[in-house]
Amino acid sequence: MTKDLSRNEHLKEASAFLRGTLAEGLREEITGGIIEDDQQLVKFHGMYLQDDRDLRSERGRKKMEKAFAFMIRVRIPGGVCTPAQLLAIDHIARTYGNHTMRITTRQTFQLHGVIKSNLKATMREIDRVLLTTIAACGDVNRNVMSNPNPYQSRAHAATIAMARALSDHLLPQTPAYREIWLDGERIAGGEEEVVEPIYGKTYLPRKFKIVIAIPPSNDVDVFAHDLGYIAILDENGEIGGYNVTVGGGMGMTHGQPETYPRTADVMGFCKPEQAVAVAEAVVTVQRDWGDRSNRAHARLKYTIEDRGLDAFRAEVEKRSGVTLEKAKPFQFTSTGDRYGWTESEDGKGHLTLFVQNGRIKDIPGGPQWLTGLKHIAEVHDGDFRLTANQNIIIANVASDKRWDIGKLVDKYKLTADASPVRRNSMACVALPTCGLALAESERYLPDLISEIEARLASHGLTDDEIVIRMTGCPNGCARPYLAEIGLVGKGPGKYNLYLGAAFDGSRLSKLYAEDLDNGAIVAHLDPLFAAYKSERENGERFGDFVIRAGFVAATSNGPDFHKSTGAQRSAELITK
Amino acid sequence: MTSPIPTTAPFAQEEIEILNRVVGPASATQRAWLAGFLAGLDAAGGAAAQPELAAPAQPAEPLTILYATESGNSEKLASDMAKAARKMGLKPSIVDMADLDVASLASVKRLVVIAATWGEGDPPARAVRTYGELMGEGAPRLDGVQFGVLALGDTAYADFCGVGKKIDARLEALGGKRVADRVDCDLDFADPAGKWIETALKALAPEDGGRGRVIAVDFGAKAGAAELGPVEAEITELIDLNSSQSEKETYHLELSFDGAAPAYKPGDSLDLYPENDPAYVDDLLKAAGLGSDGSLRAELTKNRDITTLSLKTLETYASATGHQYVKELLDSGDARSWIAGRQLIDLIQQFPIALTSEQLLKFTRPLAPRAYSIASSRREVGEEAHLLISAVRYETFGRARKGVASGYVADQLKKGQRLRVKLRPNKHFALPAPDKDIIMVGPGTGVAPFRAFVQERRATEAKGRSWLFFGDRQFTHDFLYQLEWQDALKDGVLTRMDVAFSRDTPEKVYVQHRIWDKRRELIEWLDKGAYFYICGDAKAMAKDVRATLVRAYADVKGLSAEAAEKAVSDLDREHRYLQDTY
Ligand code: SRM
Ligand SMILES: Cc1cc2nc3c(=O)[nH]c(=O)nc-3n(C[C@H](O)[C@H](O)[C@H](O)COP(=O)(O)OP(=O)(O)OC[C@H]3O[C@@H](n4cnc5c(N)ncnc54)[C@H](O)[C@@H]3O)c2cc1C
Ligand SMILES: Cc1cc2nc3c(=O)[nH]c(=O)nc-3n(C[C@H](O)[C@H](O)[C@H](O)COP(=O)(O)O)c2cc1C
Ligand code: SF4
Repeated sequence: MTKDLSRNEHLKEASAFLRGTLAEGLREEITGGIIEDDQQLVKFHGMYLQDDRDLRSERGRKKMEKAFAFMIRVRIPGGVCTPAQLLAIDHIARTYGNHTMRITTRQTFQLHGVIKSNLKATMREIDRVLLTTIAACGDVNRNVMSNPNPYQSRAHAATIAMARALSDHLLPQTPAYREIWLDGERIAGGEEEVVEPIYGKTYLPRKFKIVIAIPPSNDVDVFAHDLGYIAILDENGEIGGYNVTVGGGMGMTHGQPETYPRTADVMGFCKPEQAVAVAEAVVTVQRDWGDRSNRAHARLKYTIEDRGLDAFRAEVEKRSGVTLEKAKPFQFTSTGDRYGWTESEDGKGHLTLFVQNGRIKDIPGGPQWLTGLKHIAEVHDGDFRLTANQNIIIANVASDKRWDIGKLVDKYKLTADASPVRRNSMACVALPTCGLALAESERYLPDLISEIEARLASHGLTDDEIVIRMTGCPNGCARPYLAEIGLVGKGPGKYNLYLGAAFDGSRLSKLYAEDLDNGAIVAHLDPLFAAYKSERENGERFGDFVIRAGFVAATSNGPDFHKSTGAQRSAELITK
Repeated sequence: MTSPIPTTAPFAQEEIEILNRVVGPASATQRAWLAGFLAGLDAAGGAAAQPELAAPAQPAEPLTILYATESGNSEKLASDMAKAARKMGLKPSIVDMADLDVASLASVKRLVVIAATWGEGDPPARAVRTYGELMGEGAPRLDGVQFGVLALGDTAYADFCGVGKKIDARLEALGGKRVADRVDCDLDFADPAGKWIETALKALAPEDGGRGRVIAVDFGAKAGAAELGPVEAEITELIDLNSSQSEKETYHLELSFDGAAPAYKPGDSLDLYPENDPAYVDDLLKAAGLGSDGSLRAELTKNRDITTLSLKTLETYASATGHQYVKELLDSGDARSWIAGRQLIDLIQQFPIALTSEQLLKFTRPLAPRAYSIASSRREVGEEAHLLISAVRYETFGRARKGVASGYVADQLKKGQRLRVKLRPNKHFALPAPDKDIIMVGPGTGVAPFRAFVQERRATEAKGRSWLFFGDRQFTHDFLYQLEWQDALKDGVLTRMDVAFSRDTPEKVYVQHRIWDKRRELIEWLDKGAYFYICGDAKAMAKDVRATLVRAYADVKGLSAEAAEKAVSDLDREHRYLQDTY
C-alpha cells in the first residue's frame, strides 16, 4: 500500500541536505522568526524556534510580533563534558541566553531565549569548545545516553566510549551545519554527491533515540527508547556484551488511542564489537520500514508493532551480518540517581547533586546553581556528568581536591537536602518556552511536591522513595508513563493522573483519573498513601502496591495502555 | 488681484477686508492717486491737500531681522517685529540664520537678532553653520552697524540663553553699535519679548518716527498661518508599546478631536499641556508648610512649573526668605552644581522655612507645554493625531522622579480622558516631493515622525524610495511599531530598514554603527538626491550620526576630513540634511 508522504518528507527531500533557506532567513533582521519550512529544518541543526508564551497575549496589542527566541540543544554523548565546555555554555547562557542552563532528560544542556541575531555567535562559541548541536533534534539519531555514574569505572568507561562511537557513526554528514552556522564555504554542488550514506536525502521517518544501561541501575530508562543496550558484565567486571532492546517510546496524543507509550522489547544479545553494526542495521531498517505517511505513527515502536519483533530481528541480522544470541539475564533495581559522594576503583571521588528539574539558575535566597557551577568549573580538573534524571555529577575529583569542591558546593547551597520523593521527581520544561505545552510543569511541580510531602508525612511515609514525574502534555518528555505517579498536562491547571509503573522502569503506568486540578490531585493521592501505609507488604513499591491492592489495572505493554483505565477500586472507602 | 493688502499689513483683519474691497478692483490711476494722496495727507499734518501739492515720498529705512530658531518661537517673534517695524517707517527684511550669507552683514545698517539656545547651550541645528562662521575669523567687520539682540532660552538649562549672549558680545566685538540692550527670555517669553521689540524699534526707527514715509509694504510676505490656541482632544488609545519585561515605557497615544484635527502635516509636532503629579504637589505644599489650600493646590497642579530649579529660583528664594544658607550657597559659587539633578522641592526641603502661598508662587514659573512629534498622517488616520511618548523616570538624591508631561501621560491619563494640545508646525522637517528618496534615522521616540512619513507616502503612493534606521535597547522588548514596519516593508512603502539594539550583545550597537555598515549604499542614495532626516536625542545621537556620515563620505569617496565635512554641510545648505532633535 502506498500512502501519501507526510509534509516533512517533501521538505527534507527539497532541503538540499538540511539547508533550506536558513542562511537567507538569518539575514532577515526585522523579524525574530524564520519561515515555517525552515523551522522544521533548523531542528536537525539542534534548535527550535519558540516564543515566550507568557507574553503572547500582550504582543499584538503592543504592535510587536511574538517574542521569538531559539532553544538550542547541545549534543553530549553519555552526558560527559569538560569544565571548559561547561564554562562556555555558562557564558552563552549569561551573554545570549536567558541566564539559565537546562539539564535535559537526555543528559545534555539546553539553552533558552537566544534571539536570531545572536545565533551565529552562539554556535561559534559552542564549536570553539568542541561541542556541536547537530542532530540534537530532528528525524535522526539524537543524543546517545549512557549511565554516567563512574563508580564502576572500567565498565562505565567502556559504555561512554560506545555512546560516543554510536553517536559519531550515526551523525549526519551534511556540510550544511558548518556552512550556515560557522560561515563555511558551500561546496559547489555539494548537495549533488551522496553526503548521507546512512540516512540518505530524507533522513529517518522520525526522531530516533539510543541509550546504554548498566544494571542494576536503569537511570536511563532503557525501555523508553527506540534502541537500547543493557550491559552484561562478566565475572571480572568487564562488559561481555549487551542485551539489545528495540521499540520503546513515550509519546502519545490525548484522545487518540492509536498513539501510545511503549516499553522496548529485548531482541537478543550481541558482543561489544558488534554493537555499532547492529545499531546501523536497526537505523536503516527503521529508515526503510518506518511509516513516512503519518508522523504520529512513524516511531520505531509502531514499526515493531506493525511488522512484529521476529521479522524486524531477522532483517536487522541480515543487514548487520550479526546473529543475535539469546538475551542474558539481568536485574534492575531503580531508575533514580545515587546522591552524594561515591568513590571509584581508581580512588577518584564523584559528587552527585540533585538539580530540581535540571534548571541551572541562581535562585534568590536559594541555591546559586549558575554561579556555583561556574566557580566549581573554574577550579575542577575532572569532568562533569549530566544524568538522565536531570541531575549533575562533579566527577573524577582527586582526593586532595574534594574539600575545595565541597566548600564551594556548600557556599552556593547546592546540596539542598531534598526529600526522597523530591529527589525522585522530574518535570519537563513546558511553559513558557515549549510550544506544545498544555499545562505548567517545571514551574509547578516543586510546589505540588511540597503538598505531597506534607500528605506523605501525615501518613508517616516521609522516608519512602516514590517516583513522581510530570509533563505539560502527553509527549512524555520526562517519561511520566514510567513513573509510579505520573501527571500529564491536559489543559491549563488540569492533569491526568497515571499510576502503577514499576520502580525499576520495566512496566508502564495506567490512567487512574482525568482532568485533576491541584486540589484534586492531592485529594486522589492522599487515600492511596493511607492505604499504602496500612496495606503494603514489606518492601513493596508504591507502583506495585496500587496494582496488587486493586486500585488500578496493570499495563502489560503499549497496545493495552488505554485499556481498562480509571480507578478499579474506590479509594475513598478506606480513608478513615 | 482681488485682495492685494496682505494680512501682515498693520491693520485689523476687518480693516484689511474693507481696504481690499476698495483697492482690489481699483485701476492703476486710482492706486497712484491714493498713494500720493495718503503721503500728502501726512506731510500736510493731516489736512486734506491737493494731490499735486503732495510732497515726494521718501524711501523707508531698511531693517534686517535675523532669527535662529528650532521650534519656531524666534521666527514668530521676528515676523511680529517686522509688522510693528513697518508702522514705524522701517522696511524690514526677515532672514533665517540658516540661509544667511555672513559677509552680507557688512552692508547692513540696522540689525536685530532673535536667537534661541538649544541642546546644551548650542545654536538651533539649522543655524549651526552660520553661527560658526559668525564666530570664526572669516566674519566681516560691522563698524557702525546698529544692532540689538533678543535671546530665547529656558532657565532650567545651565547655559541660559547662551547663544543669544554670545552673539550679542560678538556683534559688539566686530564693531557693531548696540542700540538696544539684550533681554534674555525664559519659556514665558511673550511679555518680555513684546516689551523689548517696542524699545528696540524706538531706538532703531528714524527720528521723525517715519512721518511722511511711504510705509514699505512687503508684497512678498505671505499670510502667516493663523495662530490657533490649544484645543481639547480625547484619548481614544493609550498603550505602552514596550513589552512588560522591558525597563522602558513608551506610550502610543491616539487623540481624536471634536470635529477636525489641527491641520498638521507629517513632521509637525503637538504641544501637550500637562498637569503636575498630585502627589508631588502635596509633598511640595507640606514642605512649604502650606496645608490644604484647595485653590493653591489647583493652581500649582494645573498652571505652574513647580519642578524646575534654576539659579534664578535660588536667588528669588534667598531674597524672598532671606535664608542664610541659601545665600551662602549662592556666594560659594557651588550653586550651579548643587542644582544639578535637584528640583524645587529639594530646595524647600533642604532649606526649610515657612512660606506664604504668594512666596511659593514666586518661585515657580508658568507650566510650559511639551512638544511631541506627531506620529500619524491625516491621510491615513483621518481626524486623529498619534503621539509616541517615552516616560521619563529616574532617581536622584534618594527621590524617585518623573517627567511632568510624560509622567502625566503615563500615570495620570487614561483612555477616554481629555487633554489640551496645540499644533506646533515645523516647515523645516517636511517630506520632499513624492518622487524623492528619503533616509530616516529615528532611534527610540525619534521614530515617531517617520511613522507619519510612511503613512503619508503610502496614502499618496509616493514613488520615491524610503530607508529607515531604527534602534532601541532590546529587539524582543523594545521594537516600537515592529508589526507596522513589517507591513510597510511588505507593501513596499519602506524600501529597506536597518535596526540596532544596544542591549542584545556584549558590545553596544547604535544606529550610527548600522549607518557605517551600510555607508556605500547610503552615499549612493544621497548622490542620487536622497533627503536625510534625523529625529530623536540631540545630546549624543544626532551628533554621532552626523560625525559618522562625515566619516562615511571620507571613506566611500576618499575625501579629506574637510572635504567630507563640506559634503555634509552642502546637504545642509541644500536643505537635504534635516533634523528635529531634542
Ligand atoms: C528538554 C526535554 C525535556 C526536559 O525536561 O528535559 C524535551 C523538551 C521538548 N521535547 Fe521532548 N524533550 C526531552 C526529552 C524527551 C523524551 C525523553 C527521552 O528522550 O528520554 C521523550 C519521550 C521519549 C520518546 O521520544 O518517545 C520526548 C518526547 C517528545 C515528543 C514525542 C515524541 C513521539 O514520538 O511521540 C515531542 C513532540 C514531537 O516530537 O512531535 C517532543 C518535543 C519536545 C520539544 C522540543 C517541543 C517541540 O517539539 O516544540 C520540547 C522543548 C521544550 C523546551 O522549551 O525546552 N518530545 N522528549 C528533553 C530533551 C532531551 C534531549 O536532550 O534531547
Ligand atoms: C520638537 C520636539 C519634539 C519632541 N518629540 C518627542 C516625542 O515624539 N516623544 C517624546 O517622548 N519626547 C519628545 N520630545 C521631548 C518632550 O518634549 C519632553 O521634553 C520630554 O517628554 C520630557 O518632558 P517631561 O515633562 O516628561 O519631563 P520634564 O518634567 O520636562 O523633565 C525633563 C528633565 O528631567 C531631567 N532629567 C531627565 N532624566 C534625568 C536623569 N536621568 N537624571 C537627572 N535628571 C534627569 C532633565 O533636567 C530633563 O530636562 C520632543 C521635544 C521637542 C522639542
Ligand atoms: C531640547 C532642548 C534643549 C534646550 N537647551 C537650552 C539651553 O541649553 N539653554 C537655554 O537657555 N534654553 C534651552 N532650551 C529652551 C529653548 O531655547 C526655548 O524653548 C526657546 O523658546 C526655543 O525657541 P525656538 O522655538 O525659536 O527654537 C532648550 C529647549 C529644548 C527643547
Ligand atoms: S512533554 Fe510536552 S510540554 Fe513537556 S516539554 Fe515535552 S512537549 Fe513540551
